[in-house]
Amino acid sequence: MSSNVSETSMDLSDKMNSMINSNQDGTHKTKSLWLDAFNNLKQDKAALFSLFIVILYSLVAILSALGIFSADWNKEVGPSYAAPSMDYWLGTDIFGRDVVAKVIHGTQIAMSVGLVSSMIAIPIGLTLGAVAGYFGGWIDEVIVWFYTTFSSIPYIMLLMSIAFILGKGLTSVYLALGLTSWVTLCRLIRSEVMKHKNRDYVQAATAIGGGHGRKLFKHIIPNVSHIIIINTSLQFQIAIKSEVILSYLGIGVQGQPSWGTMIDDAKLELARGVWWQLAGATMAMFFIVLAFNILGDALRDALDPKLKGK
Amino acid sequence: MFGLKSIFIQSVLLSSLFLIGCTKKQDLTEKVIYNVSAANLLSLDPILCSNVYCSKEISRVYESLLEFHYLKRPYTLVPNLASEMPKVSEDGLTYTFKLRDDVFFHDNACFKDGKGRKMVAKDVVFSIKRLADAKNISNNWWLLDGKLVGLNEWRTKYSSKESNFEEVVEGLKAIDDSTVQFKLTKKFPQFLYSLAMTATNVVPREAVEKYGKEFTNHMVGTGPFITGEFKTKNKLVFTKNPNFRKKLYPSEGEPGDKEKGFLKHAGKQLPLVDKIITSIATEAQTRWLGFQKANYDFVEVPKDNFDQVVLPDLSLNSDYAKKGIDLMMEADLDTTYIAFNHDDPIFKDNPKLKQAMSMAYDHDEANKLFYNNTAQLAHGPIPPGIAGHDPSFKNPSKVFDIEGAKKKLAEAGYPEGKGLPVLTYEYKADTVGRQMADFFSKNMKKIGITVKTNGNTWPQLTTKIKKRQAQMWGIAWVGDYPDAENFLQLFYGPNSAPGANGSNFNDSLFNALFEKATVMQDSPERTKLYKELNGYIADKMPWLFGVHRQRIFLKHDWLDNFKFTVFPYGREAYLDVDLEKKAKLLKNF
Amino acid sequence: MKNYIIKRLLYIIPVIFGVCFIIFVLFNLVGGDPTHMLLGKHATAQQMEELRRTLGLDRPLLYQYFDIVKSAFTFDFGRSWNTKQEISTMIMDGAIPSLSVSLPGFILSSILGLIISVVVAYYRGRKIDTVVRIACIAGMSISSLAYILFFQWFFAYKLSLFEISGYEYGFPNFLPYILLPSIIWIILSIGPDVRFYRTVILDEIYQDYVRTARAKGLSEIVILLKHVLKNAMIPIITYVVIQLPFLILGALLLESFFSIPGLGGITLNALNSSDFPVIKAMAVLSAVAYILFSLLSDILYTVFDPRIKLK
Repeated sequence: MSSNVSETSMDLSDKMNSMINSNQDGTHKTKSLWLDAFNNLKQDKAALFSLFIVILYSLVAILSALGIFSADWNKEVGPSYAAPSMDYWLGTDIFGRDVVAKVIHGTQIAMSVGLVSSMIAIPIGLTLGAVAGYFGGWIDEVIVWFYTTFSSIPYIMLLMSIAFILGKGLTSVYLALGLTSWVTLCRLIRSEVMKHKNRDYVQAATAIGGGHGRKLFKHIIPNVSHIIIINTSLQFQIAIKSEVILSYLGIGVQGQPSWGTMIDDAKLELARGVWWQLAGATMAMFFIVLAFNILGDALRDALDPKLKGK
Repeated sequence: MFGLKSIFIQSVLLSSLFLIGCTKKQDLTEKVIYNVSAANLLSLDPILCSNVYCSKEISRVYESLLEFHYLKRPYTLVPNLASEMPKVSEDGLTYTFKLRDDVFFHDNACFKDGKGRKMVAKDVVFSIKRLADAKNISNNWWLLDGKLVGLNEWRTKYSSKESNFEEVVEGLKAIDDSTVQFKLTKKFPQFLYSLAMTATNVVPREAVEKYGKEFTNHMVGTGPFITGEFKTKNKLVFTKNPNFRKKLYPSEGEPGDKEKGFLKHAGKQLPLVDKIITSIATEAQTRWLGFQKANYDFVEVPKDNFDQVVLPDLSLNSDYAKKGIDLMMEADLDTTYIAFNHDDPIFKDNPKLKQAMSMAYDHDEANKLFYNNTAQLAHGPIPPGIAGHDPSFKNPSKVFDIEGAKKKLAEAGYPEGKGLPVLTYEYKADTVGRQMADFFSKNMKKIGITVKTNGNTWPQLTTKIKKRQAQMWGIAWVGDYPDAENFLQLFYGPNSAPGANGSNFNDSLFNALFEKATVMQDSPERTKLYKELNGYIADKMPWLFGVHRQRIFLKHDWLDNFKFTVFPYGREAYLDVDLEKKAKLLKNF
Repeated sequence: MKNYIIKRLLYIIPVIFGVCFIIFVLFNLVGGDPTHMLLGKHATAQQMEELRRTLGLDRPLLYQYFDIVKSAFTFDFGRSWNTKQEISTMIMDGAIPSLSVSLPGFILSSILGLIISVVVAYYRGRKIDTVVRIACIAGMSISSLAYILFFQWFFAYKLSLFEISGYEYGFPNFLPYILLPSIIWIILSIGPDVRFYRTVILDEIYQDYVRTARAKGLSEIVILLKHVLKNAMIPIITYVVIQLPFLILGALLLESFFSIPGLGGITLNALNSSDFPVIKAMAVLSAVAYILFSLLSDILYTVFDPRIKLK
């Protein structure tokens, strides 16, 4: 009987050890996950191309932010509403400014809106979601109450109210979008963490005396990180599209061109046959949103462990 | 569950197949005016409605003692519910009105047996006391605030208890059933204009009491059209009042009216049409496309459609003319401007700075970009069309001269903009507002002034102005009545924010002269004084003057008697629809 | 089950307190002062004081907060400051036009989306999967404003296939007016729908039970329709039900461009004119609707998935 017990316990600890080994070093696991993901991605031409577009847009945004591209978007280069030609590829706007320069400057705005609002939403959503899912009990209740309250108010109303209060401008757009978009991530992370906390590897970590923080951040979060990636790809495009709506409602970016203000301009211009601002902004927006979506899907397929074993 | 859903979908798809291609046909058996409103209606209660859109709708049903002559220009007041123009006492303070004795309210359940009763002097008094009643929170009260003897006292007395409408107010009396007398606290020649506005429309007490807060949805007036309960918030239907009193189409107008066909219906009983249908469409594209589909009889041309409609010689593009569409271009009674807040020490007592900004601003280019070159540049606050406007007056700062502007800026103490902080320009955040802000900022940069722009919702912008928090802002003033006093009061010190003088300009010399002008009757002396005041303001530049705008309308040829007016209240009674022409022209659409 | 429902119903109370608090902070504390707007361009300081008193804006903040909470339970939101209409009537009048646009669009896009995603899941990894996926995503990548501008101009104006704008009350009078907005609604929501459904279905396809079923020799179509879809319905129904309250609220841009007198337009109008009572009413109402539908979705969850046990 005693040998039996020791055998069993041997078995168990072996199993545990191997499990802990594979999960002990979160970075290692993530690294291999990312490596696999990259290998998968390499075969997916659409995804690779999307990645290329995202990198390209990021580069354009960075160069524009550094003042290397489109620094002179405010300069009059031609007559008012000149049609596209060799001189101005996408024509000019009401003040005779080059639409290409405006589109590029808009890229900078759009990428920064997506990036900064995600940077605000991810920590809030991740922390609250993970804490709620992991600890459960009253902590969960409070966090669920908080996000239920938040999400019960129509998104657009909350968005407008926040922009209202913070005043107009890019900062408000960042904050308004960031502060309204963490709820989805929080909810997803919470339910995913709930699933994971009862999984064997976490139980195992408990058995060897891992603290809450260690279990949560070292073991669980790396295992749910793909949700962040997928959500961010969604968040990016939602942010870019919301910027257009905010501009339509008159609370978008101030004093500089964005795709949103360009489409808002087009609302009146279209009827007089000036389609190039709409086309420029819509096309620029189209490719990046498309790329983020395809990339998000591909990353999801690549990163999801369930799909990995197929 | 799925079965049910798919049946529903099938039925929707089927019915949509039938409906596609057969959009609604217009009824040509009766004369209907199809009208479109660009904004949601605030209220259909005369004392609560304070903008053009609801005033237009209200004035089909309600009437006031006076109205503007439909054809005559300059705008002339004529009696409407009054039988003649009032007798004015020698001291200019007492106005006595005789009322018509053939005016009846519309039939409505609020009256005994549902039959509309005769309108009497007491109704006029009641309607104006309602306007004064503080509990009604009317934003039209400014019209009579402090003007009638005892009315402000009455307002204060009942500000938080039930109002006694029977209590006699010295300045507002029903002498007998057909006589109303007003007593003014001080001379105020513009007083009569307020009796032509919708805020002083005559309403029956029975309806106000029966419907209470719902009165806004039940219009019971004396006018040429009647309407049922206002229920569907996107559409109003008015039908001809069969019991309307004898009121005839005028038989004289201004010179040229006969040639333009405005006297075709002279002497005919009003109203000329059977029905008015007003649709509400808040998007410009919606209204514009709707007009071109002949869903609406007339429409204002959006600025960006101008090129497509109007040729460089200001005639109508033949594509439109072929379809029987007419172009109308008329000056509005307004002034656009960029205001400077004179609470700010930067602007106070430094006209040179403001003049420099005006000279750096490319006025002609702005006119081209934002008004298709149709507007008239404003050299001072008083717009053309009213006494006090001087077409020969040229504001020396109303020139585009960068070098001159730079020199002025140096004289103002800010050479090349040095020492001047970043200025903030506030605007109402819509497409054109944003473009104008960009344009201003761009222009100022040329002389070294940095302007930050900031968009606002309309309430935010007005709040900032009223709280004196805005530094500069772009806005326009549209005349409430055709008198320069309405424009000049915007610079009167005691009217400072939260009053109408948002720029908080306060100049003792101007204040004194303005006070003198307000009590003067219309006369060459007053016009001369108005011109002086206009010139004084043009020099001190509390505003960077913009333009006086043109209104550009298109109308279908079947709509007759459509004469432009800046006070389009009650206009539809004079309009006619030529059904034969309409049937013919509709084939073009 | 009963206890759970009661618990969830009671849960409405703290959430409403929370919503009211957010609304209160946003509008009563930091929002613009509506008195200027209400009194117009000729307002005087005295009039504004009077108005503030009449509107109860001079009372202690706690009272103002509890006024909002009270309205959430009585559904008496008072009158709009702007249009002077009874807010409850405004909401009832506006819900029907909003629903008549959003509901057909929503149902059609849900069903179409589901069909497409099942097909796509069946052919997963093949060309058709990629094409449909990219088409859906491409559709999502264009701004809704661009769709509305272009569709109204092209289909309603150029081709005269639809009414340009407007609305008539009552069935079937409204049909010609809702066609184009509904089509735009479908186009706008089919992309996200397919994307979500596909993900959910693929999630299920790689579960063990599917492998077992395959091992038993069941055909792929049977597995997909019988087993996978049944399990995938759980998240799908949650997704669908959670969207229902937002249907009532309508679509701001669609309603404004097509002149549909729905709640979206009312909300937009209220936001633009600082019509606080209406904004508060809409926020409170949507919160209640949202919570009720979440409850419903939870109950449906248990009906479909016996594995989940309610506490």
